[in-house]
Amino acid sequence: MQEDYINIILADDDEDDRMFFTDAFEDLKMTTKVQTFNDGVYLMDYLNSTEATLPNVLFLDLNMPRKSGLECLQEIKQDPKFKDIAIAIYSTSASEEDIENTFVQGANIYIKKPSSFKKLKKVLSEVVTINWQYHTNNMNKDNFLLRL
Amino acid sequence: MIKTLSNNISFLRAMLYISALVILVVGALTYRSVTEVTKSSEMITHTYKVNVELEQILSYLKDAETGQRGYIITNDSVFLEPYLSARNRINNSFAELKVLTKNTPQLKSKLIDVNTLINKRLIAFKTSYRSLPKKDIEDPNFKSNFRNGKTLMDSIRDQIKGVIKLQNNLLNKRSDEYRSDLMATPLLLFSLLLCSLILIYLAYNSIYKNIKRLKIANEELEIFKESTNQSEIVSKHGSWTWDQNNDVFTFSDNLYRLLGEQPQSFEPTIQNFMQYVHPEDVEQLSQQVENMKKNVELPYIYYRVVHKNGNIKHLKAYGKSIINDEEETVLLGTTADITDEIISFRALEERNLELERNNQELSSFNYVASHDLQEPLRKIQTFLSRLEDEEAEKLSDRGTRYIDRIQNAATRMRLLIDDLLQFSRSNKADKVFEESNINLLLEAAKQDLAEVISAEDAVITSDAFPSMTVIPFQIQQLFVNLLGNAIKYKSEKRSPVINITHQVIEADNDPQITKPTKPFYHKITFTDNGIGFDNEYADQIFVLFSRLHNKDEYSGTGIGLSICKKIIENHKGHIIAKGKPSIGATFIIYLPID
Repeated sequence: MQEDYINIILADDDEDDRMFFTDAFEDLKMTTKVQTFNDGVYLMDYLNSTEATLPNVLFLDLNMPRKSGLECLQEIKQDPKFKDIAIAIYSTSASEEDIENTFVQGANIYIKKPSSFKKLKKVLSEVVTINWQYHTNNMNKDNFLLRL
Repeated sequence: MIKTLSNNISFLRAMLYISALVILVVGALTYRSVTEVTKSSEMITHTYKVNVELEQILSYLKDAETGQRGYIITNDSVFLEPYLSARNRINNSFAELKVLTKNTPQLKSKLIDVNTLINKRLIAFKTSYRSLPKKDIEDPNFKSNFRNGKTLMDSIRDQIKGVIKLQNNLLNKRSDEYRSDLMATPLLLFSLLLCSLILIYLAYNSIYKNIKRLKIANEELEIFKESTNQSEIVSKHGSWTWDQNNDVFTFSDNLYRLLGEQPQSFEPTIQNFMQYVHPEDVEQLSQQVENMKKNVELPYIYYRVVHKNGNIKHLKAYGKSIINDEEETVLLGTTADITDEIISFRALEERNLELERNNQELSSFNYVASHDLQEPLRKIQTFLSRLEDEEAEKLSDRGTRYIDRIQNAATRMRLLIDDLLQFSRSNKADKVFEESNINLLLEAAKQDLAEVISAEDAVITSDAFPSMTVIPFQIQQLFVNLLGNAIKYKSEKRSPVINITHQVIEADNDPQITKPTKPFYHKITFTDNGIGFDNEYADQIFVLFSRLHNKDEYSGTGIGLSICKKIIENHKGHIIAKGKPSIGATFIIYLPID
């Protein structure tokens, strides 16, 4: 039964953003299971626990208290048991520096949070349906930042 | 100067040698003359001595003759005495003559003849008075003997006269020779002396000239010294020398002033100097002074000195060894007071720190603008979009209109934030120039604008660009802004057409390039067929937040072209704009070629 769902996790400290995120997936009516965490510490605690269901796609906000998205990214990439998780950076800013850093650390795609709900739904459905195998093999710095 | 002096010295030496030679010649000639004179006077004396001896011989013979006659008359043997001693006396005289005439063989033979005649005469005396036994002077035998004696006597007289004559002739001949010699010598001597006088005059002249030249050089040196003194005062320099072999220092006047002292007010030694050095710098300076002994050229030495009134001055010293004429190593040094420089350097450093702090504040402001301001704005926009999508039918017309207005205001705010962010990023300090493919940058800019380009059916044509050394992301931004502008301010009557051309120009040939930094520039021209603008505003459009149009007509923020200007300034280039209302606008960029 579990095999049919796409497991999705979002780590974001902003309540409104978590709400937009879950609302968007509800509207999309996709077979997804969405879990959210309030910061990097909660996220890593869950991922490292035995009962954790590892997500297919992990959305990481960068600017979070206690443990930032970049730190989570580094930890996940260092642990081979997480190697199948596709990581999407999900941030308000799209500064060259942030894009560069997360690309180098091995994130799979960089999403700038859109400013309309319609666009958000479009972006999320796009990301979830990406063939990650294909995308990762052809990834370069130019298609790393998602443009819609 | 030195060369002419050394030339002169060899000239003077030649003069000295020639003069000495002349004096030697004069001396030799004088010696010869004096010897000649002595010789000639000896010769005269000699001649007179010979003559005297000959006269003497003749007088002895006469005495003998007179005695004989007295004896014949008186028959008294007393009268015979001169005759008896005559032989001895004559022999003595002849011995004398023999010595005197040993160098004149003609005289010698003549004298032998005379001697033979005298012997004959003396025999004749004997024969004549012996042939007179009975006092008979009438005796014919006696008479003939007596006459024979007279004849002999006459011939002796003649012979002696002949010898004296010969002697006198010889003397006269020699005197003549000698006189002509003596006549020539004074002329030679005089001309030689004249010659040596001329040489002495020439030497004097040369010495005089040299002295004059030295005097002028000395005066120049004096002036130079004074001007050095003055320049040392003005430029706050002091100089010193250190004769390392003898450990002797000299300090210039101004070096004392740098220490806050009167010129030459203490003995120039390293110990005395060290008393002024700041206690914290003494050890380091002593170490470096030791190094000076080993190295020919030294790096700058920095240290502080403390004046008696407590003022601290920063000094900087430099030294270089040279080897003087006496093969001694002398260190020439210069010391400068750099207190003012240090003070202004510190002020500058402080300003730099302040600027750095300001920059940091600015970057944190950037972060606030980029992240913290965008976040609430994005949420407002997202909620608005949800209101529009999900709650539209529940709203009144007026409510929908208000939401529209809020949406517009939020969009504009986003635009402003984005542009401001871009502008502050174009100010960033870390600008990395790299050799870039401009064609690719233009392509990327078109990609960024792909949506509007296709929406407006814009046509962009461009030349092929050579590679340039630029900050790539800034040049891409520049292209985005210029192309974006051209499309945004398009004419309503036609689709936008943008033409981009490139050429390399010489800076001197283009009046638009003020104060060129390089001889050649890239000239990139963007020409569009948009609404254009009045040339009157050509400069104003680059000013931050300046706009030529109402924001209801066009959505600009007034930042885009300011960013372009900033980017071009970062590249030390120029950007100018030209416009014709409703025909189009042209933007020309000049980028220096390295």
